[in-house]
Amino acid sequence: MSKSPVSGGPESAPATLERPVLLKRLFTVSMLLILFMTATVFFGISIGSTGSGVAETLRTLFDGKGTDDAMHYTIIWRVRFPRVLLAILVGATLSLGGLVFQALLRNPLAEPYILGVSSGSGIGAIIGILAGFSRFPGVSATAFAGSMGTLFLLFVMSSGQTMLKKDTLLLSGVMVNSFCAALIMFLLSITQDSRLHNIMFWLMGDLSTADLYQVGILAIALVPCFVLLLTLSNTMNLLLMGRELAESMGLNIKAATITLLVVTSFMVSFTVSYCGPVGFVGLVMPHVLRLAFGPDHRVLVPACIFGGGTYMVLCDLLARTLPDQGEMPAGVITAIIGVPLFIILLKRSGR
Amino acid sequence: MKPICHMISLLAVCSLFLHGSPSAAARIVTDEMGRQLTVPDDPQRIVSFAPSITEIIFALGREDRLKGVSRFSDFPPEARQLPSVGSYISLDLEKIVALKPDLCFATRDGNPKDIVRRLAAFNIPVYAVNPKGLDAVMETIHRIGEVLNAAPKADAIIDQMRTRISRVKRWVAKAHRRPRVFFQIDISPIVSVGTPTLINELIEIAGGINLAKGPTPYPRFSREQVLSLSPDVIIITSMARGGRFEQVKSEWNRWPSVPAVRNHRIVMVDSNLFDRPSPRLAEALEILARLINPDLFEGKE
Amino acid sequence: MKHVIHARRLGYSYGDLPVLKDLSFSVQQGDFFIIIGPNGSGKTTLLKCIAGISRPRAGSLEILGVPLQSYSRKSLARSIALVPQTAPADFPFTVTEVVLMGRSPHLGILGVEHEKDLNIARRAMDFTGITSLAHRKLDQLSGGERQRVMIARAICQEPEIILLDEPTASLDLAHQVRIMDLMEKLRDEKRVTILMVSHDINLAALYANSLMLIKGGRMVSIGRPAEVLTFQTLEMAYGCPLLVDKSPLGDFQRVTLVPRKFINPDINRTTRTT
Repeated sequence: MSKSPVSGGPESAPATLERPVLLKRLFTVSMLLILFMTATVFFGISIGSTGSGVAETLRTLFDGKGTDDAMHYTIIWRVRFPRVLLAILVGATLSLGGLVFQALLRNPLAEPYILGVSSGSGIGAIIGILAGFSRFPGVSATAFAGSMGTLFLLFVMSSGQTMLKKDTLLLSGVMVNSFCAALIMFLLSITQDSRLHNIMFWLMGDLSTADLYQVGILAIALVPCFVLLLTLSNTMNLLLMGRELAESMGLNIKAATITLLVVTSFMVSFTVSYCGPVGFVGLVMPHVLRLAFGPDHRVLVPACIFGGGTYMVLCDLLARTLPDQGEMPAGVITAIIGVPLFIILLKRSGR
Repeated sequence: MKPICHMISLLAVCSLFLHGSPSAAARIVTDEMGRQLTVPDDPQRIVSFAPSITEIIFALGREDRLKGVSRFSDFPPEARQLPSVGSYISLDLEKIVALKPDLCFATRDGNPKDIVRRLAAFNIPVYAVNPKGLDAVMETIHRIGEVLNAAPKADAIIDQMRTRISRVKRWVAKAHRRPRVFFQIDISPIVSVGTPTLINELIEIAGGINLAKGPTPYPRFSREQVLSLSPDVIIITSMARGGRFEQVKSEWNRWPSVPAVRNHRIVMVDSNLFDRPSPRLAEALEILARLINPDLFEGKE
Repeated sequence: MKHVIHARRLGYSYGDLPVLKDLSFSVQQGDFFIIIGPNGSGKTTLLKCIAGISRPRAGSLEILGVPLQSYSRKSLARSIALVPQTAPADFPFTVTEVVLMGRSPHLGILGVEHEKDLNIARRAMDFTGITSLAHRKLDQLSGGERQRVMIARAICQEPEIILLDEPTASLDLAHQVRIMDLMEKLRDEKRVTILMVSHDINLAALYANSLMLIKGGRMVSIGRPAEVLTFQTLEMAYGCPLLVDKSPLGDFQRVTLVPRKFINPDINRTTRTT
């Protein structure tokens, strides 16, 4: 570091800046959200289609595999818990995905499916379901292949220098999405048997097939992505300044853009391939968290992980318990809750 | 004396191998998908994943052991009182596990492979059936009867079904012609049934010609195509729920060139009776025969 | 006196369109170096080349004696800071946060700021007089205030050179002078080299110790303001009639635009004197 002429000056007027705030804020926000998350997880495993009972749950948790409650124990840990874990991962991934794309594309309407991930994986999933594969690994694999395929198409369409122009990427994504959506409509219209229902269910996002082993695999793939995005959170702050200014501040725009794009696309594709495209989380959660905690991505990234996860657990819980027969698609709840929540926070911040 | 002792001990050892698990009395069976599974000798807690299977279990008199059914199990009416475990595309794992079943029954299509696999992780065996035709339905009844130790009742049901089917065949043989039948299962678009379906088989046996015959199981038709086929009878299933039947009927009535319209032979039938591979198919067949050749059945039961 | 910037036969084109041609010049340490010229002369492009944002197609560029290509982005950001013409739009951060971002080239991965960084930011904000605005959002400020925030941010990069792209273009009179005074103070007190692109020749004349006039991507004239600001040079560069005389403030050139109504077509131009 060269000796700079600027910082060597004498101490000046009284301090108006607080002590190092970032770490403190990070800690506070994270702890708060982790607390929420733990509470929601607890409710998530206490409530289910065979009845709810916080007291029962507590008893089971502490007594363990007693003879009476062996069934309850099994239900909590082997049926509900994997599902709640999956919800956390899905909520975190989608919220982070939305956050990254909103920073990358400098567009508040950006969300994780904007580059065609959801419709691409939809096509893959439909093909898998029609071919008679089981959800895992068959349909998940075809769905993942589908989303990777659309991303490849996207990169080919907007290759080279134009890729770094945010609008090109956005427009290409919209085109790809529209095309894939039309293809999906077509596939739906020619499917006549019971598989149609399976397909529709998948397309609306379905967390019901959670399995501890599979969720474990998902976690192993996703958690490193979360960590990587955390290290890039300052980069995302700088990206909002615009290309040239960010570059002049020492950011390698090309490397940063590509890394963010690849990591996020992979993360979102992987998740969507497993449980279908759950809508709205990726669009709403970043805005909600930004309104609550400010625009600094270094705080928002962990907020999206814990806050987004909590939100999804909550929505999934409602999706399971509200209808008196069966369950709603989780995507319906995320929209029903997300919109009013957003409006309330928007009004509150406007004051 | 000694060789007999050897024989007995040998048999005992063999039977141990055959039984497999040393736990409660169980046996290994092969289901209709060719899977081998271990089921209890005398299942006490059964869950059915399809309405047709529910009907079969009730018919076999084993409803006391039925602890849970799939959502649309509505026949017989008592079935509605049983706890529901979700619909055929979306089965509720938690509810199933909570019922502590020792055996579940599922149909091949419609039931996701995943639920079968996940239940296996809980050591709950799922017996899959595939009743894709009249004979296959009777085979299914027989097999379920075997597994539930109700073989005699199963055979009785099958016999009765066979009797009724042959009776219909005999009656129908006397017909001079085979009326042209259009069996409509959906309104928008117009969908009928092709050769690979149960209903097609019923129509053929009941003495009609299925105008939608062909390799596609659920072919679509434009109204023009149906008009050009000139059906003598149009049968519409109640799958189009609500008051839609009158609406659909009036839409067909605008085309008096069609024989079925001219002769007022547009009828509605209960889809549950026709779609479900259950013992009531014999009844469905009789109804169909009557609808297709009404003059043959005057004065007959 | 050492060169902080040394350009040799610099060239740049947008696709086939040449924008900078064969530019050679040097900037000394502690200079207040202002680049002037008509629109489209390539001034902003030149600035971007020096900032390392655009890569020259021809020629060489040395910053602090080291070729530009040898710098990593971060190390370049520690030597040169850029103040753009306008602050970024839709930028939701507070003044303090924006200023602190200037510390990025010195920070580690997560960009955690320590006490030292906060002190530097504090001093930069005092220097630019925006301390009272610390908690306001950037988009709530006036143009002049925003400009000062961006300058404070640039100061935090602790650069040897600050580049400014038409910093007074959209500011009111008071702020125009204020910004220029700030730059001068920066140069005098902190010995930062100032390199600026300006459209305002008069302001340039009052502050610059070195002027460079370019037109069509080529150098027209370089040197002290008195040498560069002659009416022949300016008229040729700008293509309109101009009057150059001494400013009432002192030994500075003053350039006046001449509306058509003051031009007597009968007078021979070459007899006009300053």
